[in-house]
Amino acid sequence: MTFTWDTALTELHARRETARKLGGPERVARQHEQGRLTVRERIERITTDFVEVGEFARFPNRDAAGNDLGSLSSSYVCGLGTVDGRQVAIGGEDFTVRAGAPQSYLDRWKGGMGGFVEDLAHQYRIPLVLFMEGIGGDVAAQDEKGHSYLVSSMSWKRSFELMSEVPVLVAVLGSAAGGTAGRAVISHFSVISAGSVLFAGGPPVVRRALGRDVDKHELGGAEMHTRVSGAIDNLAGDETDALTQIRRVLSYLPQNVWELPPRGDRTDPVDRPCDELLRIVPENRRRPYKMREVLTTIADRDSYFEMGPDWGKAVITAFARVDGIPVGVIASNPMHLAGALDGAAAEKQIRFVDLCSTFHLPIVYFVDVPGFMVGPDAERAGVVRMGMRAIQSIVEAEVPVVTVHVRKAYGMAVSATSNPDALGLRIAWPSGEWGDMPIEGGVEAGFRREIEQADDPDEFRRRVEQRLLDAADPWKTVEAFGMEMMIDPRHTRRIVAQFLDASLHAMKTKLGPPQRRWTMRP
Amino acid sequence: MYDIRTELTASVWKILVPAGTAVTVGDEIMILESMKMEIPVEAPISGTLAEFTVGEGAPVQEGDLLARILPDHSATS
Repeated sequence: MTFTWDTALTELHARRETARKLGGPERVARQHEQGRLTVRERIERITTDFVEVGEFARFPNRDAAGNDLGSLSSSYVCGLGTVDGRQVAIGGEDFTVRAGAPQSYLDRWKGGMGGFVEDLAHQYRIPLVLFMEGIGGDVAAQDEKGHSYLVSSMSWKRSFELMSEVPVLVAVLGSAAGGTAGRAVISHFSVISAGSVLFAGGPPVVRRALGRDVDKHELGGAEMHTRVSGAIDNLAGDETDALTQIRRVLSYLPQNVWELPPRGDRTDPVDRPCDELLRIVPENRRRPYKMREVLTTIADRDSYFEMGPDWGKAVITAFARVDGIPVGVIASNPMHLAGALDGAAAEKQIRFVDLCSTFHLPIVYFVDVPGFMVGPDAERAGVVRMGMRAIQSIVEAEVPVVTVHVRKAYGMAVSATSNPDALGLRIAWPSGEWGDMPIEGGVEAGFRREIEQADDPDEFRRRVEQRLLDAADPWKTVEAFGMEMMIDPRHTRRIVAQFLDASLHAMKTKLGPPQRRWTMRP
Repeated sequence: MYDIRTELTASVWKILVPAGTAVTVGDEIMILESMKMEIPVEAPISGTLAEFTVGEGAPVQEGDLLARILPDHSATS
């Protein structure tokens, strides 16, 4: 056939129409019936200016006997898109094409595990947004190859190196198993929609391996992962919420590590009165309070967004802005274990500090911690090891850390709140109290024999406690410059904003990938 | 009947109102103790506090039933 522009463009147009059909109307309908969008719908909702790459790649469809059933559009959709004015590499499996079949049938993977879309993010230094919905490798893919495949032939290098280059933001929307599940967690922020599942192996695999029947939601449901395993950071009510959360997190982060995070509007005055702080923190030190109210009062209005709110609850980790500057907020949660740092909270803190360090977000740490969590459950979960790793993360953080002492600060856990080898700027409220141990427990332990031998042990213990409490007056530490500042809490916002603004001068000179030599985590 | 459950593992320190008391949403009905902290439990709805299902000193696990409220049907919200 001779080439004419007319026939060529007609063919291109026809192929485009076919590609838009994804896995066909029945499978698309099933996706919708189950409350899920198609990958094209997800991409179209979150981006403007989507330019697709690999639009015309095809998936050769065969049945179990190897008979040719024709072809479908390929099982992955990807390209370059704009999200809230930000150019990103974006892609996702097409679950309507054999559950997002791995692209071993193509000369080059489009995405899902490495692939064009990850190369795009790497080469152009733009964020990577992935929608994960697939079952990873399966025997049908092996059938295509005609020989069995050693998984260690597959390179994960690109996926891991992106972690120190650009924001990698993942939404799990539907089922993610095997390789797809693995890819999902190599991300800076991940969100899973309610009803979605993620696991190394699904119920049929579990049945064969362990002889157990498990419900897929119990096994790897969205709630389980965001509350218990922490393998995924956030839960979304539905797919629309998941897309909103991705956009929200992107707004705090730069395009890549060679840039500072984008400063937001400076429309919330830094000297706005924060009188409510005096009502939020109770005068009764045995009463907990809602630390989140403290945080949202001090941060710019409507700038607060939590990461991992449902697990590691003794610590709160959140993005926020202060005078437009994107920051990472870490805070003890006095409502949960009195804020004691347990294994899960330590892990959550480490992940968040690493993220802030990577993308140049200064950290503001609000302290109300009675120590590492104690007790058999905590010890069995390795609180000592995880706690020390949390300390390491702060010691090795490559961003300024401004520490605000709201109330309790006892024991080793306090080392995880400030780095004395960096600026070590600690700002106390008059409600602050600190030491090696809370006086009550400390007296009991430290003077046990003398207490037992006293004529009136209770009275003796009370007198010792009172003497030590008087000496533990926080002002004495302040007088010795053992605490850098003591302030009226209502001025916290203004003072923290001023320090953060000044710290930007240094931050500008320290852009690029993390500088630290790789240190083994204990 | 509305169940009030604990969100954390603790022990019941003080019961603040007798069964049968009329409560408004937000009233403190009980204080739990955990890690030396006094954690108040508030009435999540208005109504009559029908019964406490735990006594002072009882240990409670996350999700355990603490009390029941008979909702106040004349309440607006």
